[in-house]
Amino acid sequence: MPRRDLLRYTGMGLGVSAILAACKQASSSGIAVPSGQARPQLDQEPGGLQVFDWSGYGNGDYYPGKERQYLWADYQTATGDTPKFYLFENDDQGFTKVASGTSYDIVHPCAYRFQDYVNINAVQPWDTSLLKNWSQMNPELEKQGVINGQQYFIVEDWGFIAPLYRADKVEPQDQSWSLLFDDRYGGKISWIDTLEMLVIAGFLNGVSNPWDMTDDELKSQKEFLISKKPLVKFFWGQSYELFQAFKREEVWIGYAWPDSYAYSKGAGLDVEYMNPKEGRITWSCGLGMFADSQNYYHAHAYADSWSSQKAAQFLVGYYYYGHANTNIDLDGISEDIVKALSLDDLSILVPPNSNVESYIPRRQDYADAWDEVKAS
Amino acid sequence: MAKGESGSGRTTGALLSGPLLWLFLFFIVPVVLIVLYSVGALHLLPTDHSAVSFAAWKKFLTGDSVYLGLFWKSVRVSLTVSIIVVLLAYPVGYFLALCVKKRKYVLLLVIIAPFLTSYLLRVLAWKVILGDRGVINSALFELHLRDPGHPITWLVYSQFAVMLVLAYVWIPFVALPIFVSLNGLDGALLEAAGDLGASRLRTFWRVTLPLSLPGLTAAFVFVFVPTIGEFVTPQIVGGSSDGSNFLFGNAINARFTQALDWQSGSVQALFLLIVVAVLMTIFGRRISVRTAAA
Repeated sequence: MPRRDLLRYTGMGLGVSAILAACKQASSSGIAVPSGQARPQLDQEPGGLQVFDWSGYGNGDYYPGKERQYLWADYQTATGDTPKFYLFENDDQGFTKVASGTSYDIVHPCAYRFQDYVNINAVQPWDTSLLKNWSQMNPELEKQGVINGQQYFIVEDWGFIAPLYRADKVEPQDQSWSLLFDDRYGGKISWIDTLEMLVIAGFLNGVSNPWDMTDDELKSQKEFLISKKPLVKFFWGQSYELFQAFKREEVWIGYAWPDSYAYSKGAGLDVEYMNPKEGRITWSCGLGMFADSQNYYHAHAYADSWSSQKAAQFLVGYYYYGHANTNIDLDGISEDIVKALSLDDLSILVPPNSNVESYIPRRQDYADAWDEVKAS
Repeated sequence: MAKGESGSGRTTGALLSGPLLWLFLFFIVPVVLIVLYSVGALHLLPTDHSAVSFAAWKKFLTGDSVYLGLFWKSVRVSLTVSIIVVLLAYPVGYFLALCVKKRKYVLLLVIIAPFLTSYLLRVLAWKVILGDRGVINSALFELHLRDPGHPITWLVYSQFAVMLVLAYVWIPFVALPIFVSLNGLDGALLEAAGDLGASRLRTFWRVTLPLSLPGLTAAFVFVFVPTIGEFVTPQIVGGSSDGSNFLFGNAINARFTQALDWQSGSVQALFLLIVVAVLMTIFGRRISVRTAAA
């Protein structure tokens, strides 16, 4: 029996409707407006938009004031509403919470998880005609948000995954992911704490499709990671942890997102963000609207705010992430950063120019293997 | 009289109903749900249609995965920490209960003062102290006892760091039951031992220590039970190279939040619950209600 159903039946059986009502925010109410029925207008919606998102994407964790100003001030102007933010640490954690029955208005997962949200009927399609900025969005990127012919996600941000290293301390023998496994720098390396490390090992070791490895390939990557694990100082969970470790000189090499590069550069560290010969990994993330959201028009206003040129400038200027808005002005950004992150060349998002982060069909097996690596 | 007893019964029932309802809703029901998940009667995802099965239990209990080994690793760490903490906390409790005459409870408050700050902050503070550029290493650099290019790296992200931080976190809590146990000692017994010619050391071994054993046991349980499932401290200060950042609690967390494998996560969580329940049953016989209440 799925958990969502169980929650509903348990609630009825126990007769604790009052408690469940109080917990409404944390459970699935299943109140969706039937197709064809008139929706309440924006001013009749309850407001108090609930956004389930990454830290620093509006809640002010990283840039207090600026996140509001650039990402959702337009939303506030349009609706008079102030969104409430609920955070997840990574995509797995976020999806687990939603799958277990928690519901908000907006969720912001990455593309390889889009299908999962649709499969559990957690999200509903957007009406892109309600988005003023829709015409400015990159159609190629937005295709990733189309599932079963409907625009379930508005793709907003994208970026890279690549090795980051201290140029003044490290001399790479090759432009390669092998730097994360370089015996010369034992104790100065940090990996991310996700099963994607198996994928990285797969790319490095020439596996044809590291997102869908065979048993033998997976075993081989697992053993490779176990053999190299003694080199690792720590696994990071939040990218800010990696930056802090760079700043404290605890590590010199790391599996990194562009923001760690940005923070390190901003802190005056001599860092390089590598373009490995096996290819960087590109990711993109987008906004989904919960199927039972009672803030349909609020949600669209929020997505529109996030899709604006202003929001794009913020993501590029402060996080060094790419944005799907094509009207972005790169003049204010230093040329070397534009080049390092290929912000002016969206063809980088298409294979074979990069490895696009993909759905992992055997995720359970990957997770088991990753646990074995960590436990070793 | 019967009317009075009936009224008293109703009062007792009314007073108990709240806590019992709380216990039922937020302990019994969740445990039942976890049991159902562990055998596959419940699934996280609606797309999962697998049948009821004890395969996850079998896989765990037969050691056909890394998790049973992780459990024993956690037991070793927890046991070591518990013993160290009890040994360190005993003199503190002894001093407070038997040596301090004035402001005993003020000093007790000072000892438990760290509890007034966030657990997370206390753990994170150790990263600042133990880091490669932390307080200890910086002091060594300043004193020219260590080259700045070669800090002591095992201070943090290591099993040592996990044990040190856990010990630090739990010492004040563990000192409490020891203090209560010693504070309740009848002073006449100690005087009698002295009158009969026992030395202070002999008095301690033959009188004080045996009578404080319930407090010691409670202290041991109080630190062993929570640390065996600990996952925050290992995650923050544990090391990946020696696996100290991934104990049994971390494995359970990863099963639920990374692998989306609630079945084996539930098996592990239930196993831990059963182990703790058995331990509590065994040790509970040695813990007086008064000591435990501390």
